[in-house]
Amino acid sequence: MDQFQMQFVSFARLVMLAMVPYVLASQGTMLGGRTGLFSVSQEGIMLVGASLGFLGAYLYGSLVYGMLLAMFVGGLFGLALAYFTTTLKMNQFVIGLSLFFIGLGLSTLFPKIVIGVTLQPPLIPTLPDVPIPGLSQIPILGDIFFNQNVLVYFAILLSIFLYYLLYKTSIGLELRSVGENPKAADSLGVNVSVMRYVTAIVGGMLMGLAGAYLPMVYTGTFTQGMVQGRGWIAIALTFFGGWSPHLIFLGALFFAGVEILALRVQVAGVGVPYQFLLTLPYIATILVMIFASRRVRAPAFLGQNYDREKRTLS
Amino acid sequence: MKNSTMLEMKGVRKSFGTVVALDDVNLQLKSSEIHGLLGGNGAGKTTLMNVLYGLYKPDRGEIYLREKKVEIQSPKDAISCGIGMVHQHFLQIDSYTVTENIVLGTRLKNRPTLDLDQEEQRIQDLSERFGLEVSPSSLVEELPMGIRQRVEILKAVYRGVDVLILDEPTTNLTPQEVESLFQSLRVMVEEGMSVVFITHKLREVLSVSDRISVLRDGRNVITLPRDEASEEVLVRAMVGEGLDVGKSLVFSDTGLDQEALQVGQEPVLRVEGLQVVNEEGNPLVKDCSFQIREKEIFGVAGVAGNGQQELAESLMGIRPIAGGQASIDDTSIVGLETRELLEMGVTYIPEDRLQDGFLPTANVAQNLILGYQRQEPYHNRGFLDWNAIFRAARELITEYNIMTPSAKEPAANLSGGNIQRVMLARAFSHPAKLLVAHNPTRGLDIGSMEFVYSKLLERKEQGMATLLLSEDLDELMLLCDRIATIYRGQFAGVLERGEFDKYQIGRMMSGVETHE
Ligand SMILES: Nc1ncnc2c1ncn2[C@@H]1O[C@H](COP(=O)(O)OP(=O)(O)O)[C@@H](O)[C@H]1O
Ligand SMILES: [Mg+2]
Repeated sequence: MDQFQMQFVSFARLVMLAMVPYVLASQGTMLGGRTGLFSVSQEGIMLVGASLGFLGAYLYGSLVYGMLLAMFVGGLFGLALAYFTTTLKMNQFVIGLSLFFIGLGLSTLFPKIVIGVTLQPPLIPTLPDVPIPGLSQIPILGDIFFNQNVLVYFAILLSIFLYYLLYKTSIGLELRSVGENPKAADSLGVNVSVMRYVTAIVGGMLMGLAGAYLPMVYTGTFTQGMVQGRGWIAIALTFFGGWSPHLIFLGALFFAGVEILALRVQVAGVGVPYQFLLTLPYIATILVMIFASRRVRAPAFLGQNYDREKRTLS
Repeated sequence: MKNSTMLEMKGVRKSFGTVVALDDVNLQLKSSEIHGLLGGNGAGKTTLMNVLYGLYKPDRGEIYLREKKVEIQSPKDAISCGIGMVHQHFLQIDSYTVTENIVLGTRLKNRPTLDLDQEEQRIQDLSERFGLEVSPSSLVEELPMGIRQRVEILKAVYRGVDVLILDEPTTNLTPQEVESLFQSLRVMVEEGMSVVFITHKLREVLSVSDRISVLRDGRNVITLPRDEASEEVLVRAMVGEGLDVGKSLVFSDTGLDQEALQVGQEPVLRVEGLQVVNEEGNPLVKDCSFQIREKEIFGVAGVAGNGQQELAESLMGIRPIAGGQASIDDTSIVGLETRELLEMGVTYIPEDRLQDGFLPTANVAQNLILGYQRQEPYHNRGFLDWNAIFRAARELITEYNIMTPSAKEPAANLSGGNIQRVMLARAFSHPAKLLVAHNPTRGLDIGSMEFVYSKLLERKEQGMATLLLSEDLDELMLLCDRIATIYRGQFAGVLERGEFDKYQIGRMMSGVETHE
């Protein structure tokens, strides 16, 4: 392998790594949105996920426990969103923001309670790479795609599975119909509430897992605000990906690419202030939204609550 | 099993807040019959059927299916009881194909693969059997209203229903499509289904029903077999004692007396080659030319969504005119703002009145002068003259019979019918040389409809011009001096009074004929 190839492989590997939280959080957002639930609490759920993922792993000595704990709590957040909006018919945006702030607060509270204030925070092991026998031997591609940690594989398989579920099964047909026209879905016997609860909970679990990924792969510990806006970017990404699993996956790769590029430039020290480089992913978000928003179509009923007896027209 | 009872609703009551929409209503449906459910707007027809379909939970009442009591809590229960419903506003997923819309929610055999070839074939067969031609793989959002309605009916027959409810199914159809719908319904009852056909139109109910029930103000009035029903009996049942049927405009079929038909000479509105485009630059109104003279009611017929709204909005300065000329009394109105048009004496009754013509949190008086606040007598040296406004409002409230505790009441607290009256009062009380009215009677009860008709004719008598865009062909044929038919943004022809022919207009509405 020559110099350039090695550079490329290491860049691509990092992009695959960085893509995971975006994929998980955005697919979670997409799932809820497809039944009309518009969540804005991603950042908060990811922070709680990061915090509890770290604590779970630290206390029980296994990353798997950390992940399960993060998913469980993420699911609770999803349940709360579904309950307040679908059952109590409260405004989705207001509830989503409240849940964000609750998540923000809890994420720093838990470590304080469990570990207390220490100078040197404890570390958890990072998620190991699991080479896939055979496939990982393929030159270049093997290193990029088949010599990664389990959550990279999971993010890829999840995207494929969701695509299949949404577009190739009758459950997907029913699920999407709820976000497009819940009254039509209801009139054909599709249970709108159940659909919303299930997607909200599963979506929350994915967001929690997205958060837990950060201490397990990047830092080995929880630090305040460590999600760094990835949750918000996940919302933009979901719009940009037209609320479709396959496009969201591509979008996540793009954002991960921008993120890694910004880091590289920073390390190389090209004389641009690093504060500016840190804003790059967000500027990319806005640019992409400008171009994508005209073409993509969000679920028609996104952000609204359905009430069977409430009149819509005349 | 002819003449056995298929379904029965007993003692149904349903209220929304303080409004009692249904009170002790009974309905009996026999097998293999078309049962016409007649009543004015707001009579409770839709509410009754929504109760039957499990969409509304009744306060009281029972439902019997083949003489056995059933509990219907949701549409799912209704479907499993063999009941299907075609809603007035189609319940379809716009981005799905016809097939996907039809199979949605059914226990498909191919649930995990969503291979719909077999279902497509079945839909094809059903559509041939009942004369409901559709192409199963088209996207419904691209289909015209008439076809979308067939999709709704196919949804029900695909599920093998025994009882089919059709809520005002003729609203969006051309006269030809109405006939073909009636034929399909005949085939269905011959195959043993029972049909509830809801309408507020007398002639339709008489032409297709086996039995007819009339609902008024949420109560049963009568149920009659077709051969015992006459127009007089049904009209009386529909409107009650409050209205003089002999003088009624809504129910007159001869139209207006000769005097009312005089048209002036001077054109008020002249439109030449009018173009309106959407954001992408595609034409929504193409090359429209017409004149409206003094004392003229100029009608525009067409299936909803063929450019009517865009035409009206471009004349009101709400949408830009992309090409062509338009002038009022020889003053060009191209590029003028709505405010300037209002000052010139143009008034607008928008189709979606709640959305486009009404401020829910403002009070009744404010809503009554909305748009005229810059004009005399409400405006006085830069300030609003509230005394004048409330004086005018009180007069209008009396004259237009608006039920409100006071002129200061927030307008959203009024009932739907009274909100409509507020908007009609605003439009009719300010002298306007041109009125643009889009479906002005949509959703009105018979009394208010009558009122709108008489106001339109009053304007005409006073020499003013009216552009009446309506989907109700009977209404246009009753009131208009000329009727243009719009199809895909273009006039397919203009007919003079005397040459009005429902079927010819119908053909123009569906684009199969043009008339010079
Ligand atoms: N979902 C609803 N919420 C509140 N009021 C309603 C609702 N549906 C109907 N109504 C009221 O019930 C009455 C009957 O309405 P509806 O059944 O739609 O009449 P119809 O179908 O005969 O025109 C009206 O006064 C209407 O305002
Ligand atoms: Mg109705």
